[in-house]
Amino acid sequence: MEKIKLTIDGIAIEADPGTTLLDAAQAQGVFIPSFCHNRKLKPFASCFVCVVEIDGRANLVPSCSTAVAPGMVVRTKSERVKLARRTCVELLMSDHLGDCLGPCMGACPAGIDIPGFVKHLALGEDRAALELIKTNMPLPATLGRVCPRPCEEACRRQLVEEPVAICHLKRYAADAGAGDESLPKPAKTSGKKVAIVGAGPAGLAASYYLQLLGHKTVIIDAHEAPGGMLRFGIPAYRLPRDVIDREYAVAARLGAEFRFGTRLGKDVSLDDLRRDHDAVFLGLGAQRAQAMRVPGEDSPGVLSGIGFLAAASRDEKTPIGRRVMVVGGGNTAIDAARTSMRLGAKEVTILYRRTRAEMPAWAMEVHEAEVEGVKLEILAAPTKIEKQAGGSLAVTCIRMTLGEPDASGRARPVPQEGSEHVRVVDNVIAAIGQSVDAKAAAGVEIAGWGGIVADERTGRTSLENVFAGGDCVIGADIAVRAVAAGRRAAIAIDQFLMGKPVVGEVARYNASMGKLADISKKVIEGREKAAKARMPELEPRSRVAHFKEVETGYTAAQIRAEAQRCLECGCRDARGCRLRTYAMLFEADPRRFAGQKREYERDDSHPGVVYEAHKCIQCGTCVRMTEEIFGTSALGFTFRGFASRVRPALGRPLAKIDDNGLLQIVEACPVGALVLKKAPVAVQERSFKRPPVPGLE
Amino acid sequence: MQTQTNNKRTVVVGMSTCNIAAGAQEVYDLCRKTVEEKKLGVEVRITGCLGMCYAEPQVQIVEADGTRSLYCDVTAQRMGKIIDEHVVGGVPRAQWIAKYDEGETKDLMGKQRRIVLANCGVIDPEKIEDYLAVDGYKALRSVLEEKNPDKVIDALVKSGLRGRGGAGFPTGMKWKFARAEKGPKKYMICNADEGDPGAFMDRTTLESDPHAVLEGMAIGGFATGADEAYIYCRAEYPMAIARLYKAIAQAEERGFLGRNIMGLGFDFVIHIKEGAGAFVCGEETALMASIEGRRGMPRIRPPFPAQSGLFGKPTTINNVETWANVPWIIRNGWEAFAAMGTEKSKGSKVFALAGKIKRGGLVEVPMGITLGEIIHEVGGGTGTNRKVKAVQMGGPSGGCVPAELFHTKIDYDEVTRTGAIMGSGGMVVMDDTTCMVDIARYFLDFTQLESCGKCTFCRVGTKRMLEILTRICAGKGEESDIALLEDLAKQIKTTSLCGLGQTAPNPVLTTLRYFRHEYEEHIRDHKCRAGRCRSLCTFTITDACTGCLICARNCPVSCITGEKKTMHVINQKACIRCGVCRDFCKFDAVVVG
Repeated sequence: MEKIKLTIDGIAIEADPGTTLLDAAQAQGVFIPSFCHNRKLKPFASCFVCVVEIDGRANLVPSCSTAVAPGMVVRTKSERVKLARRTCVELLMSDHLGDCLGPCMGACPAGIDIPGFVKHLALGEDRAALELIKTNMPLPATLGRVCPRPCEEACRRQLVEEPVAICHLKRYAADAGAGDESLPKPAKTSGKKVAIVGAGPAGLAASYYLQLLGHKTVIIDAHEAPGGMLRFGIPAYRLPRDVIDREYAVAARLGAEFRFGTRLGKDVSLDDLRRDHDAVFLGLGAQRAQAMRVPGEDSPGVLSGIGFLAAASRDEKTPIGRRVMVVGGGNTAIDAARTSMRLGAKEVTILYRRTRAEMPAWAMEVHEAEVEGVKLEILAAPTKIEKQAGGSLAVTCIRMTLGEPDASGRARPVPQEGSEHVRVVDNVIAAIGQSVDAKAAAGVEIAGWGGIVADERTGRTSLENVFAGGDCVIGADIAVRAVAAGRRAAIAIDQFLMGKPVVGEVARYNASMGKLADISKKVIEGREKAAKARMPELEPRSRVAHFKEVETGYTAAQIRAEAQRCLECGCRDARGCRLRTYAMLFEADPRRFAGQKREYERDDSHPGVVYEAHKCIQCGTCVRMTEEIFGTSALGFTFRGFASRVRPALGRPLAKIDDNGLLQIVEACPVGALVLKKAPVAVQERSFKRPPVPGLE
Repeated sequence: MQTQTNNKRTVVVGMSTCNIAAGAQEVYDLCRKTVEEKKLGVEVRITGCLGMCYAEPQVQIVEADGTRSLYCDVTAQRMGKIIDEHVVGGVPRAQWIAKYDEGETKDLMGKQRRIVLANCGVIDPEKIEDYLAVDGYKALRSVLEEKNPDKVIDALVKSGLRGRGGAGFPTGMKWKFARAEKGPKKYMICNADEGDPGAFMDRTTLESDPHAVLEGMAIGGFATGADEAYIYCRAEYPMAIARLYKAIAQAEERGFLGRNIMGLGFDFVIHIKEGAGAFVCGEETALMASIEGRRGMPRIRPPFPAQSGLFGKPTTINNVETWANVPWIIRNGWEAFAAMGTEKSKGSKVFALAGKIKRGGLVEVPMGITLGEIIHEVGGGTGTNRKVKAVQMGGPSGGCVPAELFHTKIDYDEVTRTGAIMGSGGMVVMDDTTCMVDIARYFLDFTQLESCGKCTFCRVGTKRMLEILTRICAGKGEESDIALLEDLAKQIKTTSLCGLGQTAPNPVLTTLRYFRHEYEEHIRDHKCRAGRCRSLCTFTITDACTGCLICARNCPVSCITGEKKTMHVINQKACIRCGVCRDFCKFDAVVVG
């Protein structure tokens, strides 16, 4: 048979008659995207993402269904083709309802594969769960205890009754794997060395991931022990010290060198570090206590929250008076109050100028403090502190009312005139916030508010080889965000060290069904209520006598039941989904054609397969396979226009159709509309460096 | 024209769907009853549609010598008088009779050139004798006797006949391709899935002269080597289907169809397939899928139907009007056909005039006539004091041609240059009370619902365009919407599989081309000059009001007040902005703000 000569992207090629342009192009290594093309099936031409331009033709043609012809001049990369492909993907995305990732995973700053590890726990695969967690979280036992759980706020299980206890589950996985030193495995060394300033969560995460990438790290810290705020800001009854030690030991085992008692700007300068290392990561934290700005606050007996907690962390016998007033509404205030109780204080009052609803502290913590006997006095603030004879402090307080919202969006407390009254206490602990002191990082650009200026995605600072992340960049915040920042910086530093463009982690496109309030009731249809497992804890009256961990951890029996409460949101095909891949590849804007969308429609009647019509992109592959390969009419197109849908024959549930070949048909679905129930649960590769997107990286 | 089989006086009642909708059944029944009861000795017969749908029901009194009197707008009451005065008394009611050589009827008929419609409204479509009396089946006989298919195809090629379904592909070429394919099995299809809103050329042809279509198909079958054919007719045309069945039965009985036609050794069987109402089944590949019992979804071409069509066999598919032209061309010679029209568009074209037009109905005009001549002279303009603003040609796949371009000739290429398409012949005439954004929205709503849902751009893209248009009409459009619409429209046009998707954006693109200012007014000024977009207009009465009370009487929400002979006022709070007051006002006193 004589070959046909044509040109694709300027390259002369030959192909057998009858070959499609798509096959001819792919044989030349030319990438052509497609949803509806399947080599086992006859050409169909429905998705139109495979279009190419042919000289002399006004319309773009689907390459999957167009045969080569002599003298054809084909273009696969013209602007017109690119625009059409992008538009095609944007149109499909505008009518594709689903979540690539579970909402919990989207809400987790560190991006832990939550549905994945929870599923492993539900199946009793504890080690696999921990392995998955560790791809994004080097401190799971720690964060499993202290994280304020943004993931649980997003959890859809709330629509049934309560969120899944994700954080407790993570703690379980970490504690269960505590003795296992096989995780993670160190990488081949690159010969590069990175200095990390600060042994807090940001620095630890940066070090951990840099080590996994083969770089040597040296961590310097002014304190005598690792952990930063985890150790010196969080009391042991919430986070036992051996948990911190255990998790930090992993870094040491991987080869990190710790230099404690070494203060930046005093014992070593940033210039020294830059000179002696290939890169520097600054994870200084936000460790300077903010002043109350009331007369008398420098009196003896007036303490700062973090100063007090650090002292108590070093010495569980730190003296404290009988009557303690804690000023502030954040977690540090609660921690200071509960620590005071444990150090022997008898009357502990938290003074907060707004109401309970505005308190930044975690509600559960406030509750635990009250259970332990701490009093909460809202709508009050100190105006003056006077040292009295005998050592006690006379604190003048004033009552507040709530006024108009201030810059932070919270109601502004307004002092009530004439409401002053005096309270006599032995100690006042000011826990009203922390700020960043970055003066030691001489040469780095500092923002007006005192933090280090660094790129959000890469952590790059104004200095060539200096990166930064965590509280010192964004201000005092939660530990999980510091871990995420350290991890992001590690990826960017690796790029920098290896001479690649420093772009940080490639953002993946993630479809979402929206906020909790926007979720169709059909999502939770048929879900039986099952109460969240209660975390066992020490009895309140006795526990205030010591610093033993209050929450004792789930029992094995609780774990399985709790993990099984997970609704398994997120898409089982998030890794393989071509729509998601092309969305990134063509830089498609999911909002460009936003409009009416198909509604949630899940059919999980079949024992092995789930069909989610809301994710279907109507490529027709499944319909054609039933017809052309398996000789059934089990699946077909119904209705017309925008409302057309692929449905099982005669409107039956999937379980009632002739499912000859259905499992193979599922494999061919280019998105997650048809998936196997036993599909792998993890949506991420087992490497924290996410899989490359074809054509993107 | 002499069609009756004897020399009796005849009362001929127009009995087409349009006549019946106007009340012809009652007229016919009365006629039959009266003639029988009074034993008047005249024959009562039926005929199809003359094309004068604006003046139906119609009744013709044919004298023994063949002279005809055409009565228009006949009611049962009038019919009684016509029988009494004209049939019995011999005195025609002159004021009810349309005269072909003067006034309105002359304007209507003067510029027409009837080939396809020649027998429509003249012969009885249910009697093959009538068709035979006008030389029916003579063309078929001549080609069968001559036994030279190539000569038939050659005549068709030379005639210049192009597909009347809309795309305008040369018919002779199509036949040639099919003939070149190896047999033994080939098919022939008549596409009667007329779906454009406002188009009714095919329905009328099938109801009024079905044999012409059958004869054309048989000739085509002989020329291409097909022995089996399907007429794919939408089920919404029950009368056309009934008359087709009757015609096929009569033709088979007389040996014009079936086995060994006229003893000349040619077999040709015609089946009827009723379509279930999907617009997309008018697309040839979807139509064939539907006949085969599959979902009506277009497929990519090639292979073309001529190579691999129905059931995988070579197939020739033409539209009703195309087939109906064939016997005439054979009978009168290709030269006569090619003598009509322009260089590249020969013969005549049937148009369905609808919308804001005085003489709505069917007309058949020679190619080359201008749009203005059709609309203003043949159709009589709007028939009100309002001006014609534009005409939508080609239905939802076509485009809006503004009045400034009415010098455009009826010619496939010239019409295409305006951004519209010749289409199957629907012409929806619009005056200044038509909002061009709203009309684009209307047509897109149609195509969007009728998309088969296969291709991404057509299924989702048209929906998104519709959403943008809907928000512009609701006054929620944004400045960037026009660019987004245009971008999407252009992409859908060039990135869809079939004609439906490729042409769906045409109404939007042409209105954007000629009436962009109206889009801009909706978006920037929140104004709909035509007073159609309810969120964007108010109706007020000016001092031109004479206090005639008509608007107040017709207001559906009774929100117009005023004494007789004093200026009226619209209560804006209660007004639903339907515009009925403006439509009824004879003094242009109701204005849109």
